[in-house]
Amino acid sequence: MSRRHPHWLRAIVAVFVTAVFFLPLYLVLVNVFKSGDTIVMDPAGLPVPPTLDNIRQVLTRPDHLFWYGLVNSVEVTAVSVTILTVLSAMCGHYVARNTGLGPRIMMIIMLAGLMIPPAVILTPITDVLRATGLMTSVAGLVLVNVGYYVPFGVFVFAGFVKTIPIEIEEAAALDGASQLRVFWQCVFPLLRPASASVMIFLGVWVWNDFLNPLIILGPAEGTTVTVGIYRAIGEHQQDFGAVFALMFLATLPILLLYLVFQKHFVKGLTGGASKG
Amino acid sequence: MAVTGASSRVETARARASRDVRPSRYRVRTRLGSFGVFGAPALALYACFVLLPVAVTVYHSLTNHNPYHPPTQWVGLRNYRLLAADADFHKVLTNTVLITAIVTVAANALGLAVAVLLDRRGWLYNTLRGVFFTPVVLSSVVVSVIWQAILTDDGLLNSALRQLGVDHPPGWLSDPDVALYTLAWIIVWQMLGFCVVVFLAGLQGVPQELHEAAAIDGAGPVQRFRRVAWPLLAPALTINTVMLLISGFKVYDQVQVITNGGPGNGTTSTIAFEVIQTGLVGNRIGYASAVATVMLVVVAVVSTAALRLLQRREVTA
Repeated sequence: MSRRHPHWLRAIVAVFVTAVFFLPLYLVLVNVFKSGDTIVMDPAGLPVPPTLDNIRQVLTRPDHLFWYGLVNSVEVTAVSVTILTVLSAMCGHYVARNTGLGPRIMMIIMLAGLMIPPAVILTPITDVLRATGLMTSVAGLVLVNVGYYVPFGVFVFAGFVKTIPIEIEEAAALDGASQLRVFWQCVFPLLRPASASVMIFLGVWVWNDFLNPLIILGPAEGTTVTVGIYRAIGEHQQDFGAVFALMFLATLPILLLYLVFQKHFVKGLTGGASKG
Repeated sequence: MAVTGASSRVETARARASRDVRPSRYRVRTRLGSFGVFGAPALALYACFVLLPVAVTVYHSLTNHNPYHPPTQWVGLRNYRLLAADADFHKVLTNTVLITAIVTVAANALGLAVAVLLDRRGWLYNTLRGVFFTPVVLSSVVVSVIWQAILTDDGLLNSALRQLGVDHPPGWLSDPDVALYTLAWIIVWQMLGFCVVVFLAGLQGVPQELHEAAAIDGAGPVQRFRRVAWPLLAPALTINTVMLLISGFKVYDQVQVITNGGPGNGTTSTIAFEVIQTGLVGNRIGYASAVATVMLVVVAVVSTAALRLLQRREVTA
């Protein structure tokens, strides 16, 4: 094959385009470690010497906005994702292994849920939560998350279960294992790649969610870190350093999670792109 | 001849015997997961927090429900008639369609360009791909605040422009004629990495032999892309377009965080923002539910139609 351009030219263009794209994130990263007046004077410069004042200020806020938010976010995300993984794996297995009319209709109804905008259903959801006494509670938010995101999990798991030979399950069933035992001991361990994709996707979505926690947790009972950022910008509009530091800290856990599971994330995303 | 006949008779007898011992495949299959244990819990929560709320929204859209002005009365299609004549609603609908169209076209086009640029192996290109994907894992609140800091009137971009000698840089977020496009750009920036990664997977799924065969036949790079890669990218385009359409129609976070619907009267307000403002903030739940129902129908029709149309042109290598 003939090359029209030497490959370093492509590399230079690629690095330049990526650098332009990355500029907004660069501005946040450097300004987290700069003092307020340096940010205004020289927003694009490197933080020399770096200061941890902004981060310290966020961590020691008198209203503990960051710490309360962090606890709520971790709680909501961990519990939602755990329940979602278990329920959608079981439901995905059920839908994939039962080919009757009922399961097929159930799958279609669930797939339709993937495109329902949260704003459409939020008002009635608050009614349901008020009626059950779960409004402004973490439990309420978790249940809403599970109900809203379960179609995505079912979709991923159902596709994956179909790639597992049914003979494994038949063998276990013949040996006398109960339904649940067949699932937990034979099927679920084989679903690990699907579980990883589902957990990382839903982890990111639940952590980053804004509208649901804003409305359901309400102002009184504390917020998640994501909503905390929104509340903080109202207070100190001009103090970019503090806001950037809060965003940096609020994003760090989910960014680390993403970096650790990156492979699964991209695989889950592109599984359908190459196969169609 | 006789030998083979005998052996096949033995074979069938053995097969029959084993079939008698094994429970039928159907019976085993039903034992592998029953609705009550496996399907019901997920379906129940989905019904409670998605299906029931959708039904309630559609029902409310036919009433004048307002928790602070009881009693709730059935008003038939009055809310929809009001909507049809409501200039604010037209504005909001236009805004949403415009944002969705810009985001879908721009993120696909830029995403494809970047994917083609980064379609090489090695640590450098892997790293650059990771950079493009980062905004996808960020909260839209974080992305909104970053761009707000850059684009407000005395923000980082305009300070830089002034230093370069531009006396009156545009009010990216304060000019009613510009703000909507700025908002669309911010969403494009956040979604771009998703499109890049999906297109890259598609590009890397194109068999090398096809490229080579086309090259031997004398096709240049442009022709090779058009005739070989582009048709095989159809599934990637389907995924991106449907995903962008669905997320375009439900844009809420960026509006709430950055512009709050302004500047001026609803210049950047979207349907989702309108639903929340009228319903949860303004308590006019009947009217907001009609807006929400329209939104639901638009999303369902547009994304299903796009899916059907795009899937029709998908081919396999």
